[in-house]
Amino acid sequence: MKPKIYGLLTLLLVLMTQFSIGQEKSISGMVNDQDGLPLPGVNVLVKGTTNGTQTDFDGNYIIEASEGQTLVFSYLGQRTVERTIGSTNTINVEMVEDASQLEEVIVVGYGTQSKRTLTDNIAKLTSDDISEVPNPNLQNALVAKAAGVQVTQTNGKVEGGINIRVRGAASISGGTQPLYVLDGIPLIDPVGGNEDVGNGAQTNPLLTLSANEIESIDILKDASSAAIYGARGANGVVLITTKRGKQGKASFSLNLSQGFSEPTNKREWLNSAEYVELFTEAAINSFGEADGRAEAEATFDFLAGDTDWRTGEVDTNWSDLAFQNGYQTDADFSMSGADAKTSYFFSGAYNNTTGIIRSNELERATARSNVSHKFNDKFTAGMNLGLSRTEIDRIANDNAFATPLQAIAQSPLSPAFLPDGSPNPDTLYGNFLLDDENAFFKTIVRRITGKVYGEYQFIPSLKFNSDFSYDYFSQTEDNYRGQNALFQSTNGQAFASDLGSESYVYSNYLTFDKLFAERHNINVILGTEYTQNNRRITSVTSQQFPGDDLPTVSGGAEVSSGTGIEQKNAFLSYFARATYSLDNKYLIKASIRRDGSSRFGENQRFGTFPAISAGWIMSEENFLKDSSTLSFLKLRASYGELGNAEIGNFASRFLFTAVSYNQRPGLAPFQPGNPDLTWEKSRQSDFGAEFGFLDNRITGELDYYIKDTDGLLFAVPLVPSSGSDIINRNIGKLRGKGVEIVLNTRNMETDDFSWTTNFNLGQNVNEILSLPNANADIVNGQNINRVGNSVAAFYLREYAGVNPENGDALYYINSDNGDGTLNRNTTTDPNEAQRIVAGNPFPEWIGGLTNSMTYKGLDFSFTFQGEWGASIYNGGGVYQSVNGDFYDNQDRNQLRRWQQPGDITDIPQARLFGGNGTANSTRFLDKADFIRLRNLTLGYSLPSSVVDKMGFSRLRLYFTGLNLLTFTDYAFEDPEARSDVNGSNSPGETFYSAPPAKTYTIGLNINF
Amino acid sequence: MKSYQVSFLALCSIIFMGCENRLEINPTDNLPGELAITSEANISAILIGTYDEMGQAETYGGELPLMTDLLGTTDQVAWGGTFSEPRQAYTKNLLVDNFFVETIWQNSYESINQANLVIDNIDIVTSSDEEKDRIEGEAKFLRALAYFDLVRNYGAPYIAGQPNTQPGVPLRLSGILDYSVPLDVARSTVDDVYAQIIADAQSAYDLLPSVNSFYADKYAAQALLARTYLQQGNYAAARDAANDVLANSGHVLTTTFDGAFNNDTDSSEDIFTFQVTSQTGINQLVNFYASQENGGRGGDVRIQEAYYNLFDDPLNDERANFFYISPDNDQVLSSKYTNQFANVTIFRIAEMHLIRLECNFREGTAVGLDPLTEINALRARSNAAPLAGPLTLDLIFNERQLELAFEGFLIHDIKRFENNVGSLPFDDDSLVFPIPQAETDTNPSIVQNPGYGG
Repeated sequence: MKPKIYGLLTLLLVLMTQFSIGQEKSISGMVNDQDGLPLPGVNVLVKGTTNGTQTDFDGNYIIEASEGQTLVFSYLGQRTVERTIGSTNTINVEMVEDASQLEEVIVVGYGTQSKRTLTDNIAKLTSDDISEVPNPNLQNALVAKAAGVQVTQTNGKVEGGINIRVRGAASISGGTQPLYVLDGIPLIDPVGGNEDVGNGAQTNPLLTLSANEIESIDILKDASSAAIYGARGANGVVLITTKRGKQGKASFSLNLSQGFSEPTNKREWLNSAEYVELFTEAAINSFGEADGRAEAEATFDFLAGDTDWRTGEVDTNWSDLAFQNGYQTDADFSMSGADAKTSYFFSGAYNNTTGIIRSNELERATARSNVSHKFNDKFTAGMNLGLSRTEIDRIANDNAFATPLQAIAQSPLSPAFLPDGSPNPDTLYGNFLLDDENAFFKTIVRRITGKVYGEYQFIPSLKFNSDFSYDYFSQTEDNYRGQNALFQSTNGQAFASDLGSESYVYSNYLTFDKLFAERHNINVILGTEYTQNNRRITSVTSQQFPGDDLPTVSGGAEVSSGTGIEQKNAFLSYFARATYSLDNKYLIKASIRRDGSSRFGENQRFGTFPAISAGWIMSEENFLKDSSTLSFLKLRASYGELGNAEIGNFASRFLFTAVSYNQRPGLAPFQPGNPDLTWEKSRQSDFGAEFGFLDNRITGELDYYIKDTDGLLFAVPLVPSSGSDIINRNIGKLRGKGVEIVLNTRNMETDDFSWTTNFNLGQNVNEILSLPNANADIVNGQNINRVGNSVAAFYLREYAGVNPENGDALYYINSDNGDGTLNRNTTTDPNEAQRIVAGNPFPEWIGGLTNSMTYKGLDFSFTFQGEWGASIYNGGGVYQSVNGDFYDNQDRNQLRRWQQPGDITDIPQARLFGGNGTANSTRFLDKADFIRLRNLTLGYSLPSSVVDKMGFSRLRLYFTGLNLLTFTDYAFEDPEARSDVNGSNSPGETFYSAPPAKTYTIGLNINF
Repeated sequence: MKSYQVSFLALCSIIFMGCENRLEINPTDNLPGELAITSEANISAILIGTYDEMGQAETYGGELPLMTDLLGTTDQVAWGGTFSEPRQAYTKNLLVDNFFVETIWQNSYESINQANLVIDNIDIVTSSDEEKDRIEGEAKFLRALAYFDLVRNYGAPYIAGQPNTQPGVPLRLSGILDYSVPLDVARSTVDDVYAQIIADAQSAYDLLPSVNSFYADKYAAQALLARTYLQQGNYAAARDAANDVLANSGHVLTTTFDGAFNNDTDSSEDIFTFQVTSQTGINQLVNFYASQENGGRGGDVRIQEAYYNLFDDPLNDERANFFYISPDNDQVLSSKYTNQFANVTIFRIAEMHLIRLECNFREGTAVGLDPLTEINALRARSNAAPLAGPLTLDLIFNERQLELAFEGFLIHDIKRFENNVGSLPFDDDSLVFPIPQAETDTNPSIVQNPGYGG
């Protein structure tokens, strides 16, 4: 019976419509997105009526309407388009992404939320932003894109660690990395902090991810958003969401690109003639004309080997040898699609990068499959699975002669190679080329990250999610140092290590979401999560090889060392979050998370992390609703508490370790215990406004935050004579505060031309408010924590330049005069010079400016990044920039040295072995302010008429440049390059650290 | 599936998570400190750990003798390495933030703390009195050795025959387990530190057996006493101690000079060494003194003409030919350090001969042997022509350099003989290490040495 009745009703309805609107006609057309891809599911509505339809899988629609009426095309995330119906029966529409992004969907952890009603500060990046930066390290795409988020790769090695600081430094000794959450899986860094594997330098834990898998990256900046991650949220949370199939026609996309790289900067060193001149002068100044000349010339003879330095026959540019031309090949594809029940996404990506530093290479292949299926109205399940294999040819850390960059201060008189082509072993210090040719360090990472999940919808307003995730990270290392490798004296040495890390996360949560009485929207989430990480490391070293043809451990006659380590940690968490909005304009949210961790002592095991935030969309109020200038205004405020648990697995425990003496077992103290050690707690308040003017042509955000970190985790130096060097303590309070500005404008919008600008600027001023032991200074090497100053500030003797009378290097005495003033007299004795707080290793301001333009098929965009306020200490300065104190080649600026009475210069008289100005001081500290053209992209999409014939839906050619221009007065390698061997306790040092790569890439995108 | 079934499953999942005992995870790679001080086996293991600590590169493994030898000369060797810390020692411009000066201090006190933990908990050792005495004796020997090198490097020189109330080093005599308490401590006087060294070494002598494998035995303690008394100018006591070692320890000169060096296992001459194998321990002296093929950096310490000129019989004296040319930098290197896995000798019998003959000479005695006979016996081992006599202090000073060069003796002999280092008098401020800045930054009770700022 039933079908018949429906049929009848339908007929009736059609007839009625026919009668009521007389002059209707059929309008059809196609809706595309700005890339020319068909958009399925676009709502098409005749304005002022309920007459509407949706586009089909190919973006086509048909609707009945009459001339003079208006069609409204709307689609989530796209700007709504209105077209008045004229005489034609075909209306094709191209929809443009909504640049205001106020309706954007933001991933918030255990759910999503509309940007419009968000009461937190979250920065979002889309796949387009990410694909603009061709670099094997995903995080490089975040640079300059989010206000207050500083992203820096440690240095120019392809696998180098990445530092992300959200709103400045919170912790120092505790982990400073944000929490990365991939599709709900908190990723740990399985290698970091482990001295038993690797070469002492950190690697990027996200190296195993490929950009083409990523749909979006959401950075939870304020405490209110990050608090749902409780004890692990204090350094910010980076939520990475992988792609999934979208309803509509199956799509296939292919990207091919090829890049070329070179260093952003090479320093200038003395050439042979200058080297001979400076060091002859330095030796004569120290030892007199005859002895000095003899000393210098004997050394030159040695350095020159069989060549004649007097004729200038050899002038080796070691810097050129340390670097190489970099290349980068990317090839990736993806297939995706969805129907009403099943959505799928498959992708594969290949990257082959030859780094800019000699012998540094990376090859990576990744694959992903994300599938979900709706079994019935209530139950949906799916699985995301990512696989990757990454092979890295590593070079030594920055503090090893074997690292190529250390060659930059070799003497230009020394030939790099002997006449027979083998590396010259007789250089001033170890020649890295010996390792380059006779040693390798191969690291292979295989990673499987998977998640299986189910969602059960009890009733429309209540659902239950259960996610189980597993992250397996297997790293093997094979290192062989052949018989002719640098400093090799055991007939070869092989090292092999195996690190297996598995994490599993089991989360269960209920979500209640309901709109009551059309005005009260309530969303509540309640859940638990258990995370466990198991890590197992083994390694073995052997030596005494019959020859270099057997470079595995088994080839060695003697096994000389081995390790076997097992580590575990676990987190157990309970969380709840409630969001309430009234009339879509009064917003309030509260969340709480309770975390327990095996890392803390029994008494301190659990921590509770609450947050609350509120917002008011003022532009919805009657008094603003009709404003033609102000299109959107939201005020919001939030407060939250977060923890930092990244202190290693057993940091609070009093521990002994096993040692060996002549193969007899011994025990030795390993670390002092601190049963009071607890979470580092961060309390953050954020006050913000989001606004849109002129129909959201101008939108932006303005925020002010205060971030108080209490119980700062710090490896506090102990009195050395106590027999232990450090203890993990919670030390005092740190306050960071600042403003953040985001401004987005749509400058021009015509059918052919569009131009948008995005600007962001973030400030972070931090100050230590209190320290234990009556605010006693905590000095750690060249950094100090002192009340009233920024955290880990540089603490150095103050260089006072050169005495014009005699060329002596001078330092300010800076002793306390007893009345609060400092003794500003100078001294030549570095031991008499007191240290002062001399600078901040972290920037105070960071910013980014992006312009994007499209003209017909052309697209053009570029991003500038800037950082101001940080200083960097050149730890190599005592070798490179000391007016010829030792035979290391000198920075070319040392030619400005004092030579005769009356010379006014900042470079002291050259004195070989004279120690004239060689003490650690502000002489080697420099401001690292810079502005950089971070990336520039120019693309051309072939007209669809041409592309259609080829059977594609889109074909785009593009050029991308990375780090093309840098504007800075910084004197050393690069204002973004820092040493990869320093503990986090002493940040802000460069030590023969490679600059980042400048990369030129051309590529091709194809969609069909 | 019905809703209630799902609800049930959901509930189970959430309850399952409540297993908070899953957070009880104990380390498997390290031993909780509470357990370390509980058994005899562990106390014995902590003692072995103390040897390992003291043998590390920062102190007896090599950097301590390296720094003192560079401080003791301006012309016998040249420092050609890239490290700036030893260069500061060589140019007598030590800075308060010299990293080697800091790590020598740090490592010495780590060793002292470990020795203290053994001594504090010696009552846990109950298996036998002999075992208890051995463990206590070794710990006291190691503690005394560490204090002796600390006080003579970080304190102003000991001046014989007068009170030595100048600041020495902090005396810490009990082990620290709890680091939450205030840790600052002032420097004891040089006299007090010497008194402690002698007390510990004498006690060790009494407690230790006369043979004790490669660990310290009775005669290691006696050798330390001989060296300590000598530094104090207590010649009679030094002579008697050295004589005891020579007469009773069973150690004798190796038949050849080169037999005394680069040994994988202790030679007949070795009274006490820190053990090095390819797997454990380190001979950091090789790192600085040797060519690359011998396991070094190519030859950072280069032997100069001025040292060679000390020899009175350079043609025959094997010690005058105990050098080689580094293929890496064409410099003259000492052959004393050519085996990177050789044990590091701390006391060898040649030094005891030199102590006994010097003290006999100074005291006008002939305990054990007549001084001229003894010096010639030592010279004969190296084929050097005998001295005709009469013996003088200058000749003895010279002979010590011929025999013991590059083994960390020179600066301390210069201070005893009140000679100069280049143009610097023996008691110049720059010939004493500064108290490391890391100590003055954290220990408000410590006083810096004169000449090193405020």
